[in-house]
Amino acid sequence: MIETVLDALRVVLKTEVNADTSVHNTPQWDSLRHIEVIFAVEDATGVQFDEAELGELDSVARIVAAIQAKHAA
Amino acid sequence: MRHELSLRGEAFGLRPVADDDAGFIAGLRSDPELGRYLHATSARVEDQLAWLARYYERAGDYYFVIERLGSGEREGLISVYDIADGQAEWGRWLLRPGSLAAVESAALIYQCAFDVLGLDAVCCRTLAANERVVSFHDSCGVAERRLLPAYVSQRGQDWDAVEHRLTRAAWPPVDARLRQLARLTARRLQRGA
Repeated sequence: MIETVLDALRVVLKTEVNADTSVHNTPQWDSLRHIEVIFAVEDATGVQFDEAELGELDSVARIVAAIQAKHAA
Repeated sequence: MRHELSLRGEAFGLRPVADDDAGFIAGLRSDPELGRYLHATSARVEDQLAWLARYYERAGDYYFVIERLGSGEREGLISVYDIADGQAEWGRWLLRPGSLAAVESAALIYQCAFDVLGLDAVCCRTLAANERVVSFHDSCGVAERRLLPAYVSQRGQDWDAVEHRLTRAAWPPVDARLRQLARLTARRLQRGA
């Protein structure tokens, strides 16, 4: 599943990404691209994030953890 | 300056700053992460009130609170100022951590500049070290940019800035891009409500 997330990020951010990628080490992951990242990940995984999560999914690790939590619920 | 301009978007709006916002402003500006690229500022509400008193008297300066429509929750701050010869700068742009109002607040400040104030061009200057915000302007499609070397001295160091400039003629595609994302964001927020 992480590969699905990474693929979505690559398409939106147009740069190489990995499991450690976050807004803090990827300047291209700006506030506009963040919206596009969220939509792309939701489309690719079929998961719908809660509103409270939307602004906090600022790293690959957090996105993957949020998806895993939803699948486990 | 005291003004009565308000703009409504899909999920967020702009309204004039008032004295009641002084605590909110002080809180945002003194946030260590948000304040990394700002001039040193006081976290005291009294100092923000004094700054606002001077701002109210300054012509050509429109300071807004970005708020969530419906709830009125404050999301951040934005302004357009230094209006002269049909041009202005926009900035003082701060959003609470986790806010999704960046795209729509940018769309609304451009609407304010071009539609409401009738300006011909507006620029935004960002410290070059603030790479995510520089990237935001690039992502909007604002193609006219230039480097301003040693634009400001802060904390004993000279800092370069990047100026993004948008003219009225170049605005429509930028507006379309921002509005489309703002609509999708609003729909997404409504779906989760």
